[in-house]
Amino acid sequence: MTEPVSNLQSQLESGKFVVTGEIGPPKGVNVDKCLHEAEAYLKNSVAAVNVTDIQTAVMRTGSMAVSHLLVSKGIEPVYQMVTRDRNRLALQSDLLSAYVLGVRNVLALTGDHVAMGDHPAAKPVYDLDSVSLLAAITNLEAGRDMGLDTKGNPNQLDGAPRFFKGACVTPCAEEVEPQIIKLEKKIEAGAQFIQTQAVYDPAAFEKFMNRISHLKAPVLVGIVMLKTAGMAKYMNSSVPGVNVPDAIIKRMADAAKEDRQKVSIEICGELVAKMKHCCQGAHLMTLGWDHCVPEIVKAAGL
Amino acid sequence: MIVAELKPFDEIMAMLAGSRKVLVLGCGSCVTVCLSGGQKQAEELASLIRLRSQQTGMDITVDVDCITRQCDKEFFDNFKFDPRGYDAVVSLACGVGVGFMSREMPDLRILPGLNTTFYGANTAPGEWKEFCHGCGDCVLAWTGGICPIARCSKSLINGTCGGTNGGKCEVKPEMDCAWLLIYQRLRELGKLDEYRKIRPARDWRKDRGSGVRRLSRQELSQIDEEPRQ
Amino acid sequence: MNVGRGNLCYNSVALREINMAHSDLTSRDVASLANPAGLMENQYAPCRWACPVHADVRTYIQLVAEGRFAESVDVIRNRLAFACVCGRVCHHPCEKNCRRQDVDEAVAIRELKRFVAEKVGSSGCTVSRPETQNKARVAIVGSGPAGMSAALELARKGYRPTVFEKHHLAGGIPMTAIPKYRLPRDVLQMDVDWIVAHGVEVVTGAEIGKERTLPSLLKDGFAAVILATGLASSRMLPLPNINHPRVYPVLDFLRELAFDRQPAIGSDVLVVGGGNVAMDAARSAVRLGARRVRAVCLENEQEMPAWEWERTEALEEGVTFIHRRGPVEVVTDGGSIRALRTRGVKSVFDADKRFNPQYDDSDIQDLECDTVVFAIGQAPDFAFTHDSGLEMDSRGRLAFNPLTQQTSMPNIFACGEIVTPPGSVVEACASGVRVAAAVDMHLQTGSIRFNDALPEKIGTIPAVTAGKVLKFQRQAVDIAPANERVAGWSEVDHNLTEEAALGEARRCMGCGGGAEVMVDKCAACMTCVRVCPFGIPKVTDVARIDSALCQSCGICIAECPAGAIISRSLPVGDVQMRTRHAVELLPAGRKIVAYIGGFKASAADWVGQSESVEGVAKVYLASTTRLAVSDMLHALTLADGVVVVGCGQGLDRYPQSAGRTSLRVDHARRLLQSAGFNANAVQISLAAHEGLAGVNEAIRQAISQMSQP
Repeated sequence: MTEPVSNLQSQLESGKFVVTGEIGPPKGVNVDKCLHEAEAYLKNSVAAVNVTDIQTAVMRTGSMAVSHLLVSKGIEPVYQMVTRDRNRLALQSDLLSAYVLGVRNVLALTGDHVAMGDHPAAKPVYDLDSVSLLAAITNLEAGRDMGLDTKGNPNQLDGAPRFFKGACVTPCAEEVEPQIIKLEKKIEAGAQFIQTQAVYDPAAFEKFMNRISHLKAPVLVGIVMLKTAGMAKYMNSSVPGVNVPDAIIKRMADAAKEDRQKVSIEICGELVAKMKHCCQGAHLMTLGWDHCVPEIVKAAGL
Repeated sequence: MIVAELKPFDEIMAMLAGSRKVLVLGCGSCVTVCLSGGQKQAEELASLIRLRSQQTGMDITVDVDCITRQCDKEFFDNFKFDPRGYDAVVSLACGVGVGFMSREMPDLRILPGLNTTFYGANTAPGEWKEFCHGCGDCVLAWTGGICPIARCSKSLINGTCGGTNGGKCEVKPEMDCAWLLIYQRLRELGKLDEYRKIRPARDWRKDRGSGVRRLSRQELSQIDEEPRQ
Repeated sequence: MNVGRGNLCYNSVALREINMAHSDLTSRDVASLANPAGLMENQYAPCRWACPVHADVRTYIQLVAEGRFAESVDVIRNRLAFACVCGRVCHHPCEKNCRRQDVDEAVAIRELKRFVAEKVGSSGCTVSRPETQNKARVAIVGSGPAGMSAALELARKGYRPTVFEKHHLAGGIPMTAIPKYRLPRDVLQMDVDWIVAHGVEVVTGAEIGKERTLPSLLKDGFAAVILATGLASSRMLPLPNINHPRVYPVLDFLRELAFDRQPAIGSDVLVVGGGNVAMDAARSAVRLGARRVRAVCLENEQEMPAWEWERTEALEEGVTFIHRRGPVEVVTDGGSIRALRTRGVKSVFDADKRFNPQYDDSDIQDLECDTVVFAIGQAPDFAFTHDSGLEMDSRGRLAFNPLTQQTSMPNIFACGEIVTPPGSVVEACASGVRVAAAVDMHLQTGSIRFNDALPEKIGTIPAVTAGKVLKFQRQAVDIAPANERVAGWSEVDHNLTEEAALGEARRCMGCGGGAEVMVDKCAACMTCVRVCPFGIPKVTDVARIDSALCQSCGICIAECPAGAIISRSLPVGDVQMRTRHAVELLPAGRKIVAYIGGFKASAADWVGQSESVEGVAKVYLASTTRLAVSDMLHALTLADGVVVVGCGQGLDRYPQSAGRTSLRVDHARRLLQSAGFNANAVQISLAAHEGLAGVNEAIRQAISQMSQP
């Protein structure tokens, strides 16, 4: 495990403050728009671009295909993989497929329940969870899969992949200790970098980072771009572990409609600026406003 | 115990289309305890069927009976009315009773009056909650007695996901986050180390994974007659 | 003639076959009983247990509560011939044992018996005279409670009893010795007439021992003779001047008054004695106009055997008491009585609590008076048995076997105070009933074998349960003021009004008539445990309900999902059966069933004689706690709508009635709605406590709600 397998990994290992972005594949086969967003705004601003996997259980084109297309455009993807929809056979197979298609960064997630999405009647799988998925990836890297041959020994792979494995955590969860313990398990299972759920409270984040100072994996703090005050309020009430302070909501509410984007960029920039001293990077989730990423990076003073 | 609920009435009536003589058969076990399928509920359903019959001129006659259980065939000796005399039997047993009676009395049309939902316990007067999934591989020893398979919406086994909202599961706001409960319980018991352990991927064969399950107690098998010496 | 809903019909044969030990009732047992009421025969409520005739108090009080007065009297008269008399004078051991006193106060059982027996009279209640009465003729000597009760029982069994009464009026002591202010003559006559209607021949003015003797009766064709002459003579003392015309043996004194003759008295009457009969004499003397009436007795206030209320009422009427003095001599002066010479009494009872007065002869005092009545006890008069061959015992009393109630001659029996210790009217009746059974066994089989063992008595109610029973004040009887009372012979206390009687009857807890679990049907689901407002059911293997504690609210019966609980005091399926009958009586057109909690309803309401609403079948229930959801839906298959009229919050006899009724109606409506029916077909109104007008208005309003979609 000496050579970094990806640009993201080498940048993080170099100690630089790393910024990552995110795109979501379309509900349909017209992938041009999201590819264009990535190319136009992210390629030169961020170290890697996350591709979401059927995010919030809303059916979309798969993250593997779009990750591969990013690779072909010279953009480094972070292939997000949830355990909600596929059993261990499919997950292991997709990992090998992703590797073969040039993907190196993978973010192992449990995934939102089908009840949150637009196919609530679907059967949730959750054969593995985020911890056992990370273990499975680590296992594949060691040239094994999870099955046994006829003699009862683990199967040997004909060619093993190597990934840069990521996990997520919710720093501002109401009960933080269970999150931290699980994070420890994820790292023990093989997680090498962390991208967090959205944080709007630098003081709380710093406290969290102090509590996990014993963990060695680099942390990229998550920033979700606010589009309206209403969106902020919705996140407060409905998204667990995300707390948007009233002051920020007020800034969004007070902004004139045409100024919202500008204010939002400012807010994001300030947040990154305030937190960058205690983490190793920022993960920007701009929800389609990817054109703002360069300005956020600038506003953050990076 | 097994918890079940009465099916929508229209669905029951649709099943009864064409039937003139109907027997509503309650079960004196779990479904009596959860007030869904006992003698009283059988009488209530019978009244509703009669009402529908009166209002639409369907001319259905309905009888009511209830036996101790519908999952052991010895109880079939206690019928007040011979089910063979009916076009349809609406069984208010859980799915087990419906299926078992259908198997034992294949000439009869046994219809399910209930939807069987979960294994549960009584948590307040009139309230039952799901406690067990029947996964075949009980982990309650290291989760402080709280089942992550039944009570976590995602059946996770390594701890909370990111969806704990105010102590509740974001899937169903009235549901507690089982893993938060497990964490709190283990902390109270001084056993947080159990939470820290990585639990490997589950063997789902003990659940539905390997098909229909059975329990065999060989010590109760039929004994052949021994030849007299 | 039958007696209503079948509460009285129990199959005692089936009972013997059921092992009733500790509530292991099964559904098969219930199916084999005509009526679960038979289950109550295995365990007596304390009132019934204490009653000398073991009248079914619980049942007759429940019938009063439901306005079914004639049926109530039938239940009383099933065991007690002298229902009206006892309603006036009984010493009510039932009330002393009534478990309601552990909640608030005993139920006024005697007043309720009086109310209902006098309201129905002799013509309103059933005469169960058998069609053929051709068994042997039996002669009874004496027409008091013992003799007449014996005669009634024999008539019911098909015998031909003839009662010989020496006076010209029948009734015995109630007629000759209980003053009319305590027992009006027409009230006694109701009982006598009813008894006679059963084919009992009463020959008055016929003193046995004169033209007819005991041997002559037997020769005349009476297969048996029952002696029932009671305590016919007053005890007197061999004192100087005891035979003065103004010295009255108390029975002679009272008899004069009974026969509407004025016994000649002076103005200063002294009654000797401390018992009830002495009180009767003293209070009668007041009414005769004596200026001063005093009672002197050996006992002190606590030892006096008279009932406390007799003493209190006598005091109010102006009688004064002198305690701890005994008579020595009637002192005369020139032909008139001047005083009663008395001596002091040191003690009355000895260490063994036997009557053994010790006198102080140095303490002599003359009590001024001009008339003396000796009420120091009564004794039987055996003169009429002389030359009959009957043996006497060593104490000069009739030789008598209390087990068989035979004298020394096998065909001559005895009952009542001629052979028992002094007792009350009801005890005399019990003795008479028993001797009739003895005579019957003797004449039919030649051997007399009684099993006098009683069923077990229901135990006391623990404080924790008693504390949960809602309290209601006992109805007070209206007593005339003393100055009105002494002006004449009218009754001292008045009957309860009908409303008061219904209210009082509804205080009865129905001990032993409550819920019982059929163990083969119980799923141990805990529903009964959770819904009982009194916390009574306990689940061990199955649910067990202590019949001594159950308050008969019926909530568990209605809620039990297995239908595993029955009521001992109601036929199974009672509500649905009554609903069917009531709906059948409605004319064609829209039909509504109204279930009404009857706690505040009048008698006329209960028996269907008060104003109704057109097209509405009213079914009265002790409380809507008894009405199940399945009953409401069943009613809808027979009618177009159901109105449930319960009592308002906290106004029913049972706790949680309004809340429980509301929950059930909501559930019924939900079921209807989910099945695509009009949920408004079931309506609820909590107006049952408002009287007939309020109830009818509530029903009309509910009906108008039904047509809303």
